[in-house]
Amino acid sequence: MEFHRTVLGNGLTIIAESNPQAASMAAGFFVRAGSRDETPEVAGVSHFLEHMAFKGTARRTPFDVNRDFDRLGAEYNAFTSEENTVYFGAVLPEYQTDLLDILGDILRPALRGEDFEMEKNVILDEIARYEDQPGYRVYEKLMGEFFAGHPLGNSVLGTRESIQALRQEDMQAYFDRRYSPRNVTVVGTGRIDFDAFVAKIDAMCSAWKPYDVARSTPAAAPKPLRKVLLDGKIVREHIAMMSPAPSAQDDARYAAGILATILGDDNGSRLFYALIAPAIAEEANMSHHALDGAGAFLTFLSTDPDRSGEALRIVHDVFGGFLDEGPIAAELTAAQNKIASGATLKGELPMGRLVNVGFDWVYRGQYVPLAEQIERFYAVSAADVLSLGRSCDITATTVLGLGPAEAL
Amino acid sequence: MSEAFFVREFPNGLVFLGQRMEHVSSAAFSFLVPAGSSHDATGREGAAAILCDWCLRGAGQRDTRALNDALDSLGCQHSESVLSEHMHFSAAVLGRNLPGVLEVYADILRRPTLSDATFEPCRGLVQQELAGLEDEPMQKCSLLLRQRFYPYPLGRCLYGTPESLAAIVPADARAHVHRGFTPRGAMLAVAGNVDMEPLCEQVHRLFGDWPAAPDRPVETSQPAGGTVHLPKDSAQVHIAMAHRAVPTGDPRHYAARIAETVLSGGMSGRLFTEVREKRGLVYHVSTRYHSLKSHAGMFTYAATVPRKAQTTFEVVLGELRRLGEGIEPDEMARARTQLRSSLVMQGESTHVRAAALAQDWYHLGRLRSLREISDHIEKVTAEEVLGYLAEFPAKGLTLLVIGPEGLDAGLLNG
Repeated sequence: MEFHRTVLGNGLTIIAESNPQAASMAAGFFVRAGSRDETPEVAGVSHFLEHMAFKGTARRTPFDVNRDFDRLGAEYNAFTSEENTVYFGAVLPEYQTDLLDILGDILRPALRGEDFEMEKNVILDEIARYEDQPGYRVYEKLMGEFFAGHPLGNSVLGTRESIQALRQEDMQAYFDRRYSPRNVTVVGTGRIDFDAFVAKIDAMCSAWKPYDVARSTPAAAPKPLRKVLLDGKIVREHIAMMSPAPSAQDDARYAAGILATILGDDNGSRLFYALIAPAIAEEANMSHHALDGAGAFLTFLSTDPDRSGEALRIVHDVFGGFLDEGPIAAELTAAQNKIASGATLKGELPMGRLVNVGFDWVYRGQYVPLAEQIERFYAVSAADVLSLGRSCDITATTVLGLGPAEAL
Repeated sequence: MSEAFFVREFPNGLVFLGQRMEHVSSAAFSFLVPAGSSHDATGREGAAAILCDWCLRGAGQRDTRALNDALDSLGCQHSESVLSEHMHFSAAVLGRNLPGVLEVYADILRRPTLSDATFEPCRGLVQQELAGLEDEPMQKCSLLLRQRFYPYPLGRCLYGTPESLAAIVPADARAHVHRGFTPRGAMLAVAGNVDMEPLCEQVHRLFGDWPAAPDRPVETSQPAGGTVHLPKDSAQVHIAMAHRAVPTGDPRHYAARIAETVLSGGMSGRLFTEVREKRGLVYHVSTRYHSLKSHAGMFTYAATVPRKAQTTFEVVLGELRRLGEGIEPDEMARARTQLRSSLVMQGESTHVRAAALAQDWYHLGRLRSLREISDHIEKVTAEEVLGYLAEFPAKGLTLLVIGPEGLDAGLLNG
């Protein structure tokens, strides 16, 4: 494994972790743009813009974009979150330059009016699709509650109304504010030829005009709260809970990952024994959501509606009990082993490694080899985990239930 | 990429399949035993699903917690699932930890505790999963379509029904172990950085004296087929349909995979192009090939808001049928490249390789190198694909719709 880095004259950063043993290569354009960077009038524009990138450029029709990707046998896609829009693909190494030719091109989309209106239909269907997924709905509502008044509370998809009202020029204006080369990182993993990688990106992107991009990162001030969204059409009670946690920039994130695994891994965690094993909940898991300047522990439960209150009391007891004594040695080791082997397996695939390498750079401006990352998890002590749990107060949760239960 | 295979068939029927991968540090296995949901006794549907949880609630000398601890201490990532014909145990770890994990799985498969005390919660979880399907119309649609499409009970819903789950007693699920946790028809496939020779010796020690239960073929009846609408006040209309295809064991399945890819591979596939890109009718539309041992199908799914549902259905069906009229040379070329490159890329994952070895053995009775598959894909001509489509046209479709209103499905018979 070798790490490379260079910066083009216009501020575009290019990094790569090259692995000559890999059978494929992956590349991604990481744009620091997401729903947190939107104003309420254009809610959902980041995600809609991600779709529009695939709808053609000055030299490609929408059909050309799709065909060109598929001609390479590429695996490709894009995703938009609260704070990132990532366009990525993986191909056999001989197609590296061709892949970059498309990715670099679609980062300067044509945003044609006709395509814009057509794609609006697709976005509205995507919104409808998530309406039929209570697990997603409760997550989105909970982000809105936990981060009320903070940009991280913005919805990624936007609403039917905000999408209907969105105009092409609003999207163009948003693009002109966020897609500066200074706000984009190009990431490569797998069997990369770095010289050719840089040469191609330079040819594609060096004419992009640079400008400064700002993001506001106010402190989040969540308040504990418990709320029910009654929906009689839903059969199960879908509960989501959040409490404050280390941000993506905080070194305590390693301890946070361990804490979430001990308490809420799908298997063998404290919530597993307290809720899944006795079948009080069918789903109970906890994860650490590391964001730009903020963070949250996120817990999901799915229960019979008449047992949701009981399940919540148990979660509270489990968290409270954990804060009394902290993890036992075997729990700590098990969590470390699980995280290490999960990271190793993912890291064996260029596509699996891409987002890790990319986010290390986007959030922290650093490259951390996988082995070192794993070591940092092993360096976390039981005392670290306990003191993190106490300082964040994992029992101070914002709780939202969605389903037929009238109260939790 | 090394493709040296290791195959050992034990006298009791268990087959050990291995592929050494030098450039990774992990190793993964797929362990398939003939205890899938199609083996559930009539009136006891869902027994396999209960068992799938129950067999992890203690095995050998270990109780639930000790069992989890043993796997966790090895950093084992594992999952268990119920398929039609098999129960699938898969696990991935650092290569050096694989022998330790296999010791634990020998207990799970041969000496599960299955105590009465842990039975009830396992049933409870399956009951909750079944109820939860109501909140996941997309998944429900696909499970119920499979149930109506395949000869019964091959595609039946693994969660059973509220009545069948209520009727199952511990003895039913234990009987399922006796019939299905058996070396006859079982396959253990391993891929990754591990020495196959000593591993095979270990498998022999752990499973060589595992007695085989008598073979019990599943008796099937005609599929229900037809058109069903399940009314639901959902935001989208979920449309799922299936038509016949050749099983993986048939040499024509390469043509079937090309047909699937031309229709639905990547974003330049016909369905995505015609339904989403040109008409903006959906967010999601796709066709996926799925094969059991002697039956297979093309499963198509699309979802859209109610006012666009009928048009979506008509355009999708039109595309399924239009495929048989001709395929452009560049569509063929793209499909071949897509299939070959996804083979290589998936071949980097120990987990995917292990599953592929087991699938090959089950369907073909031998292992194919990536080169062999790639050569076959390369050789398929457009004429062969069209010939295949003439034999397996998009006719006699089974249709399942979940949403506020049904569809006018008259076209299905056109």
